[in-house]
Amino acid sequence: MKNKLKVLRAERDWTQADLALQLEVSRQTVNAIEKGKFDPSLPLAFKASRLFKMHIEDIFQDEAEM
Amino acid sequence: MTNFEEECARKGLVARDIKNAIIVNFWILAWAVTLGAVSYLSDYQWYTASWWASSAGLLVHLSVGIGMILAFKRFVKEADDLERKIQLDALAISVGLTVVTFSSYSILEMSAVVPELTAAYLIVVMSMGYALGLIIGRIRFR
Repeated sequence: MKNKLKVLRAERDWTQADLALQLEVSRQTVNAIEKGKFDPSLPLAFKASRLFKMHIEDIFQDEAEM
Repeated sequence: MTNFEEECARKGLVARDIKNAIIVNFWILAWAVTLGAVSYLSDYQWYTASWWASSAGLLVHLSVGIGMILAFKRFVKEADDLERKIQLDALAISVGLTVVTFSSYSILEMSAVVPELTAAYLIVVMSMGYALGLIIGRIRFR
């Protein structure tokens, strides 16, 4: 799964630690998701969607559909 | 935000996970202490001969063991996504390694190549498998 977390974070001038704090996860989790090493759970994806005020599919994209 | 939470945030860790991990470590320590104490007392005649004393010892050890299981279950349930994945992968490696090791060992035991299997090895293999799984997970998602 691909995602735009890094871009969205950079637009807001947030560090990985800043984003991690707001999503209530570790910095390692944010790093792993950004690098595409790890797919977030649905609750975490919803939390990111609420934080960025965007639809989930606008942040996370299934690579099979791309 | 408390000092502890600030320190965790500065290190990129989740305060809730650290607190839960400390609680799990406390229960593991308590479990190990009760195991050691009950094993030590089992060497004494007065303890093994007394039904209530040996039952009380076993009950305390079992109760602390159940507390340890519940604390670990809570830790995994409340852990952040990545930590949960690392923990579950480590548990899968631990269980798989134990089953494969012991099935292989039992074959060797039947042919009398190795000494008789003891339950203590089970805990050692499971613990080593779990530790190995955690190391692999930490390196993989570093």
